[in-house]
Amino acid sequence: MTDRMARGYVTNIQRFTVHDGPGIRTGVFLKGCPLRCRWCSNPENIRPYPEVGVYPDRCIGIDRCGFCLSACPEKKTGVLITENNLVTAINRDGCARCFSCAGACPANALIVWGKLYTVREIIEEVLEDLPFYAKSGGGVTLSGGDPLTQWEFSLEILKECRKHGIHTCLETEQHVSPQILKTVYPYVDMVITDIKHMDSQKHREYTGAGNELILRNIAETAKTGMPLIIRIPVIPGHNDNPENIEATARFITGTLETRVRQVQLLPYRPLGTEKYHSLGLPYGMENFRLPEREVWEKSILSLAGQLKKYGIPAVAGSSSPAG
Amino acid sequence: MGVFKVTSQSTVQEKPIGIIPFDHEWPVSDGHMGKNTSPFPRVNRFINRVLETEFTVDHQRAILVTEAYEKYEHEPQIIRCALALANVLDNVEISLTEDELIAGEMAAPMKAAPIFPEHSYNWVMDEMKNHPWHKRLHDRYYISRLSAKKLKSIESYWKGKSIDEAIISELSDDELKGTNVGRGFYLLNLYMYGGIGHVQANYEKLFAGGFYGLKQDILQKLEHLEQKGEPGGAEENFYRAELITLEAAMRYFRRYAALAVKMAEQEKSPHRKQELYLIADNCRWVSTNPPRTFHEALQLLYLATTILLIETNGHSVSIGRFDQLMEPFYRSDIAGGETTKEEIQELIEIYFIKHLWWTKLRDRLTVIANSGRGMGGDSITLGGIDSEGIDATNDLTFMCLDAIAHTRSGVPWIAVRWHEHTPWELKVKTVNVIRIGTGQPKVFNDRAAIPASLRAGRTLEDSRNYHVVGCVEIDSGGKEYGWHDAAYFNIAKILELAINDGRCIGCGEHCNRWEVCGELGARLGPQTGKLADFSSFDQVMAAYNRQMEYWVDLMVRGIEIMDKIHQRLKPLPFLSTLIDDCTEKGIDVSAGGARYNFTGPQAVGVGTTADGMAAIKQLVFEEKKITADRLLNALENNWVGDEPLYALVNSDKVHHYGNDDLYADELARFATDTYCRHVENRPNCRGGKYLPGIYSVSANTALGLTQWASADGRVALEPVSDCLGPVHTRAGSHDTKGPSAIVRSVTRLDHIRAANGTLLNWKFSPSCVTGETGRNNLIALIDVYFDLKGMHSQFNIVSRETLERALENPEQYRYLLVRVAGYSAFFVELSKPLQYDIMGRTELSFD
Repeated sequence: MTDRMARGYVTNIQRFTVHDGPGIRTGVFLKGCPLRCRWCSNPENIRPYPEVGVYPDRCIGIDRCGFCLSACPEKKTGVLITENNLVTAINRDGCARCFSCAGACPANALIVWGKLYTVREIIEEVLEDLPFYAKSGGGVTLSGGDPLTQWEFSLEILKECRKHGIHTCLETEQHVSPQILKTVYPYVDMVITDIKHMDSQKHREYTGAGNELILRNIAETAKTGMPLIIRIPVIPGHNDNPENIEATARFITGTLETRVRQVQLLPYRPLGTEKYHSLGLPYGMENFRLPEREVWEKSILSLAGQLKKYGIPAVAGSSSPAG
Repeated sequence: MGVFKVTSQSTVQEKPIGIIPFDHEWPVSDGHMGKNTSPFPRVNRFINRVLETEFTVDHQRAILVTEAYEKYEHEPQIIRCALALANVLDNVEISLTEDELIAGEMAAPMKAAPIFPEHSYNWVMDEMKNHPWHKRLHDRYYISRLSAKKLKSIESYWKGKSIDEAIISELSDDELKGTNVGRGFYLLNLYMYGGIGHVQANYEKLFAGGFYGLKQDILQKLEHLEQKGEPGGAEENFYRAELITLEAAMRYFRRYAALAVKMAEQEKSPHRKQELYLIADNCRWVSTNPPRTFHEALQLLYLATTILLIETNGHSVSIGRFDQLMEPFYRSDIAGGETTKEEIQELIEIYFIKHLWWTKLRDRLTVIANSGRGMGGDSITLGGIDSEGIDATNDLTFMCLDAIAHTRSGVPWIAVRWHEHTPWELKVKTVNVIRIGTGQPKVFNDRAAIPASLRAGRTLEDSRNYHVVGCVEIDSGGKEYGWHDAAYFNIAKILELAINDGRCIGCGEHCNRWEVCGELGARLGPQTGKLADFSSFDQVMAAYNRQMEYWVDLMVRGIEIMDKIHQRLKPLPFLSTLIDDCTEKGIDVSAGGARYNFTGPQAVGVGTTADGMAAIKQLVFEEKKITADRLLNALENNWVGDEPLYALVNSDKVHHYGNDDLYADELARFATDTYCRHVENRPNCRGGKYLPGIYSVSANTALGLTQWASADGRVALEPVSDCLGPVHTRAGSHDTKGPSAIVRSVTRLDHIRAANGTLLNWKFSPSCVTGETGRNNLIALIDVYFDLKGMHSQFNIVSRETLERALENPEQYRYLLVRVAGYSAFFVELSKPLQYDIMGRTELSFD
């Protein structure tokens, strides 16, 4: 039995994604993540609760509009911060997260990240693209954040997909109790997971947590025979040195006995500060500069080559093999 | 040598189909011409020579036609037209260029536009004097002093005699007020100023009996008339006219034969000498007889089509099912052992390049809506099922697709038909060619097109055997005169009139009808109430329906008058010899001689109308967030002063078409069904009926230029939405849920009812369709769209950045092809509004 009325926080149900698993898929992005990667490109999915994003560029001006200020119940305490006639930020401590401001904003300058969905609502949206999954060998991918932050909710979604014969892909950081993995895996057809760094200390420095639990879980996952895609987000100056790639290769060939479908080296794309500022978060890569495109592409290809020498099915980018 | 047989996806194809493997991949998003992409050096040389030649305007046809019109003033009009064509074919200068293997020109040198004064001449003279063609921003032409002088010399003769003048003087003010001559929300300009075209000759019949066979049929008919003792009537004139043009056509072929012989005699290179003799032999043989070889068939096909262009001035004179038509010649040539696949492939590519010879000078207003200097719509249809319902894919299907990949010239316009049993190999080939990014080919769905054709009243066999004429339209080749491009009708303007009591929003002195309308306090349309008077959205829908009925009535009245004027002034005896059942019935094709006679006006602005209706329904009637007056004020003021409302209607807080959102999609369905209901089944004056279509080609930019702000969040003069696509305004794209949601929304419309055709344009960033995964995903997307009975899709695979760079450095991107709608064109040659419209189409990246 699935609990179709189970509810969880979802930031986005993205139809027609083609980079997170085989075929044409619907990506369900759940809120909340146990890690704090410096380079995170989905910061709106980090916190486990809904929050307002502020985009001053889209604000049409308080003098012309100002609907958000009138809507805010805390208007006296100045929760909405304005500058030069535009709403520029939110005093997150004073904010009761009632989202009235975002509801009133006509311009999408204030938007809510994270909406409460029932499993049923999600499945209804997912089923819309059934013919696309069938034609392309696609399905559903749970992503985030880490969908296992809301693992009970994720489990219900996965069960419901299984009931409809929909291929499921779980994108998880694996920084989670092995028991949870054991519970959800019966309803998962493919797992996508990152190896961010083989050195636990560096891992902790960049992501806020060591890698022991993660690597152990990955090893266990491989042992179950679960189709597994490993991703290495290649961050220049962080994890792109040959030593780290060498260690990763040894882990994959040794511990995982090369039981992986594919290893994808994902080129890091700097996000700009806007998304972080919109959430009132500091951006860990603010002063980072990407190398010249050509140098950068060459370096990713050479890292992929390094892995391939071990017989590892490595690719640059995220084109998934057929499920 | 066997012909390719259908295989399943899993089978390994050992031998290439044509000359390269079916799954050969070309670099993605590399839609440039002139980069030596053909394996045949001759083809590359040929392409480069054509590219280096400027477009010009040529006077010869105009002068020769005028001569004949003056000389034969007292002949019946149909004889006069026949003699005019004969005078052109007999006396126009002809030439053969280096490397040519297929002879023929459109009564003017390569890339020179002949002039058709019998259709319209005032604008030619006006533009020649006041808006020189070489100073145009795009669609530029050069003209020699001699040609200009010659053209000037016939100006006085044509005063009051051209078709456009007759049309404008015979249409009443009511019939003109909505048209391009009036307020400009439905466009009749194509057939007002030019020929009809949009037709495919019966080449099978021509190939079976040759010109000799056609001539015998006519002679028999004349003999029969004589026996009946009824000579001298309209029927006899028709046959005589047919005969005059046929014989002139035969002489035209022989002129090329003689020229080739003359050149061969002077030619030093023995190889070229031999080629010239071959051209001469081909031309001489097919001037009378049925073709025996692939090369002869191509020569006949090319020059016969060219003569149709010289006669009719029509664009979208189409070729039809080339792979079916040519396959018997291919098979027998290969079986004979003297011809190789490579030679056939090279001939096909040369033939494709020969389509670049043809050009049509369009007036400066038309080029805003129909930008591009090609003939337009010289279409080839490939694949599909045959008249028995069996897959018709053959080697030539693949070879033609390879030819597009090799030539990348944007011509001919290629449509590939897919059906339930289309071989996987053909899907792969189609998509691999699409991914090059030239916008070619477009893909048609037999499962929607055939039922639509049946609904239009064609037989099952003819429906299965349909081809695509011009951009979008389904047609029964060789049997039909479909007037497929009769009008573009902006349904978004109908919504405007429906919420504003029959008045234009943004009424003012700038309007060309101000003195006779706005200044007098008059209305443009019937009085159907103002938004503030309505108590429910149902009343908006009722007003929309009433406005629609009124304006479709007027449009149809206007088109009927135009049709009769074309019949009176410009019979087409040569085309009539090649369309069933003109000779049989003794009636000219322009007057209803064809077996099928349709008239196809298109609805434009589906997305704009649907999103406007959604904003009104949701915000004014349901949520009551805004008052009717506030909305109308905002529109009158072009949103200035009500920026929050502008932002709101452009935000995802309002239902929008294209997001798999029933609320908006049902309104789109209502908007288009209302149009179709008022158009379909009206009789036309050729014994046929009206067929509605839903597409804009690029008319959405021109129609946008005559419309003030609209409730969907469009500012004044922005394009209305293109074809079946969602709205994208300056404030952003209204579709946010990606391709699968668009598919769902678009297939909620009734494509089968829109029997004149529908079109959905896609634009993908190159990165999302690369690799085998990208290829298969694109195939899956098309498959699902077709499963859901979408009719027709075409694709741009080009990044916004590339287009932006092309805008900045047009010189470096001279030959970058993009899909406009129905056709591909060089991006840097398009009008500015159209360039921005294409850039603004939502770029779908699958992630």
